[in-house]
Amino acid sequence: MHEAVYEVFARKERGEPLRHIGYIDAIDDALARVYAWKTYDEERWFEMCVVPRSSIIPVNRTDGPFAAAAPREERP
Amino acid sequence: MAPFTEDELKAKVHEGFIVESVEEMTEGYRKSLVVQLTVQADTELMSAPAYWMAARYAPSTNTQVSAHAIIQDELAHANIAYRLLEDIGESKEQLVYGREPHEFKHPYGFDQPLDNWADLVVATGFFDRAGITLLTDVHENTSYGPLKRALIKIGMEETFHLRHGEVWMKRLSNAGGEVREMLQRSVDWMFPMTLEWFGLPDDMKRHTGQLDYKLKGLTNDQLRQVWMSATVPLCESLGLNVPAHYDESAEHYVLDYPFPCQYDALEKHWFFEDGEISWDTVFKRWKARGPMNQRYVESIRRSRGQVAKWLTAA
Ligand SMILES: [Fe+2]
Ligand SMILES: [Fe+2]
Repeated sequence: MHEAVYEVFARKERGEPLRHIGYIDAIDDALARVYAWKTYDEERWFEMCVVPRSSIIPVNRTDGPFAAAAPREERP
Repeated sequence: MAPFTEDELKAKVHEGFIVESVEEMTEGYRKSLVVQLTVQADTELMSAPAYWMAARYAPSTNTQVSAHAIIQDELAHANIAYRLLEDIGESKEQLVYGREPHEFKHPYGFDQPLDNWADLVVATGFFDRAGITLLTDVHENTSYGPLKRALIKIGMEETFHLRHGEVWMKRLSNAGGEVREMLQRSVDWMFPMTLEWFGLPDDMKRHTGQLDYKLKGLTNDQLRQVWMSATVPLCESLGLNVPAHYDESAEHYVLDYPFPCQYDALEKHWFFEDGEISWDTVFKRWKARGPMNQRYVESIRRSRGQVAKWLTAA
């Protein structure tokens, strides 16, 4: 049962910036949506989305979790 | 290779430097953070079965819902803390499923059975207050950025747990009679249990590095004072007896019983009359774990093997 990391982004109100609020592990996108919604239920979010960590392409940093998860050819 | 020496990193974090990645950590920093996060994750995780088994005493469907909402939060908090550990090189799989029950690092208080609604209510009033006390200090002081951010959500939810506990303590205490006596009995075993949770007094404290690396800000004794400054007035206002009081001239709370002292987990009884014991004796009791340790850990893990088999068979 291989789980991947998904980063969770959300905004509380219209007009607010989308913020990184946390992360969850899930075996696929569908479960990632459910886990994110159920785990980060501390606010009534206007908008929430999840992004597989491996889809985040670091631009300037070579350290940290995003760089470690990026496919080799995408690393700075 | 860490870009700093241990001493450089210790100096930098005290000047306000925030660590963002495992690559920036020295091995000493990483080790201290692993210990801190493991205790945090295990405490959140073990509070879930403790509260879950006690939720059956909830007096109504409404209170069932609020008790289970708390349990859901605790599991999410555990998940977040284990996820933080993964990002600094530890394995959630190994931590949750690969250890013996006695190897978990939660406090001894979460090895105890919660035997009635009053126990659950006081647990959320006392234990969650301890959680907030510890985590607020971490949130305000930690030099580790990802943890500081994760604690925003956790702090909001812990405040709800605490409110649940305190509102219900008030309600049970106002009911008077037998109910109030039951509440007092819960307070009697859980008050010293929570004070012990904060660990060694400062004058005996072994060096852990958590203060040096600025993973927390307050010492054990300071944290105990913060907890008492909220809990003692609450209990006094409800007419509940607690073995501690505010000393006007010393300007802090003092304990009215020998600390630490021996505990009978089956009777839920502290032996105040037998006097002070050594911290080594306390550590031995903690290491041996309490009566619910195995059951709580098993209740978290029991179906995993079976479901894994279904999935590989399919
Ligand atoms: Fe929690
Ligand atoms: Fe809690």
